[in-house]
Amino acid sequence: MARPEARRLSRRQFAILGTQVAGAVIGVLLGIPIVGFILSPLFRREQVSWQKVGDISGVPNGQPTKFVVAFPQGDWSNAKANTAVYVVKNNDNYKIFSNVCTHMECPVHWDDALHQFLCPCHGGLYDINGQNAGGPPPKPLPQYVHRIDGTTLYVENRFTETI
Amino acid sequence: MARRLAAAYNWLDERAAVRSLLRKGLYEAVPVRGAWFYTLGSATLVLILLQLITGIFLTLLYVPSVTEAWASLEYLKQHDAFGSIVRGIHLWSAYVLLFVIGLHMVRTFFSGSYKRPRELNWVTGVGLFVLVLGMAITGAFLPWDQAAYWTAVVVTNIAVYTPLVGPFLRALWRGGDLMGPVTLSRTFGIHVWLIPAILFPLIGAHLALLRKHGEFGSYVNYRGAYRTREGVDVPPAPAQRPIEPPYPAAPSDELWAAPLQTEDFYPYQTFKDGLVSVALVILIFILAVTIGAPLEAIADPSTTNYTPVPEWFFLPLDQLLLLVPQQLIPLILVLPLGGVVLMLALPFIDRDPERNPFERPAVMVPGAFAVLFIVILTLLGSGRLFNQ
Repeated sequence: MARPEARRLSRRQFAILGTQVAGAVIGVLLGIPIVGFILSPLFRREQVSWQKVGDISGVPNGQPTKFVVAFPQGDWSNAKANTAVYVVKNNDNYKIFSNVCTHMECPVHWDDALHQFLCPCHGGLYDINGQNAGGPPPKPLPQYVHRIDGTTLYVENRFTETI
Repeated sequence: MARRLAAAYNWLDERAAVRSLLRKGLYEAVPVRGAWFYTLGSATLVLILLQLITGIFLTLLYVPSVTEAWASLEYLKQHDAFGSIVRGIHLWSAYVLLFVIGLHMVRTFFSGSYKRPRELNWVTGVGLFVLVLGMAITGAFLPWDQAAYWTAVVVTNIAVYTPLVGPFLRALWRGGDLMGPVTLSRTFGIHVWLIPAILFPLIGAHLALLRKHGEFGSYVNYRGAYRTREGVDVPPAPAQRPIEPPYPAAPSDELWAAPLQTEDFYPYQTFKDGLVSVALVILIFILAVTIGAPLEAIADPSTTNYTPVPEWFFLPLDQLLLLVPQQLIPLILVLPLGGVVLMLALPFIDRDPERNPFERPAVMVPGAFAVLFIVILTLLGSGRLFNQ
């Protein structure tokens, strides 16, 4: 008995192929929008905005001073996210530190007794210039991009270096 | 009346085959000795169902939004005594579940129940353990109080130390580089839909495999009765083995094919299962009513006087975060992920049919050290937080 031509699909093979193609098409049509949807926030540009921090004329020399800035939460929310910034004055030079620890992003605070920034989670330490002074943090304390108009401090919602 | 019921049952059986289904579900032969240890699996199932039920009802009130989530739970706390109990049961049964599923896993490990032909029972079990941990961690984010917020910050930030794709993974979970409204929406979706959509079918597979191969029990069910005066184990003649299903369902070392003495799952094992489960549920209910589920102040990202304290089940990893120096931070990912990979690989590495824990030092000693390591990290972590 002559075998069917090698290139010709049998009825069974055709049905198998058809089932698989149907499944693949459904998978692709669902998969593309879903993957795009879950990845989309990653490609949204962060809205860069300047926020007023306040009057820094009263900040004492060499004494990190906490201010609270309200940044927009972003996305659809109208709410603001309060964020702590530390202003460190060194004569005419100002450094504006975030209180986000570079280890696990816990909230660091200035500890007067230690004369260092201390992270309460895992004991990360930074000196008054934000440089690592102990514990697990791998990078210095981040600094905000800022400008000073007279005695009024403004910060941008981004750091000078990424963490 | 009884005849009418019997007729209805027959009608149903003819159409839905309920009789054979019930027989398979209820009258499995389970090993007799050590049966109290075998209640841990059913207790795990009961606790997961408790989570499902209370979780469903919590969604009737909870709002997954950074501005409303905390407020909705604060409202529950202030104005809804019964709702507070439901939330209390959800929290406390989650805590007990983590404990019981861990014991269930340790029991299975020590008894060697993961060996052929039950390798996939173990693999699905490891999957369930990881998913339950995922539920616990995502659930901890949802109240959006201080504890929840800082847990969310630290946990999502761990991903950033993944080589190459770290920042991408963190942004994928947070919905951007920073914490925000999308972080909570995504975590809520993962907690109530994504993980359960995998978890519950996996439970089905785990139970189907259990019924296929039968409860292994432990080595005491296979040897003791046949130990000679000289202390030599003699495998029983095949004729002496129970032949009722499901033993032996698949190729197995002859000695370990079927336990020597079995009894019906229902009502003998279910009685023990029921006692353990009801004791746990009563305990959870008491904790839910007396202590309840705490709710701290609303999340404040600008705080400088709040000390984030991890959930107790997160303590070993948190202690690791403290101990691992900055040059080795990726270790905090390598150790837990490596642990999961090792657990998945266990039945394929340890293929010796021997089940007696005292004759398997090559597996028992590393296993005991791993458990000890986690316990020590937990003790160190709790000691540190207690002293603060």
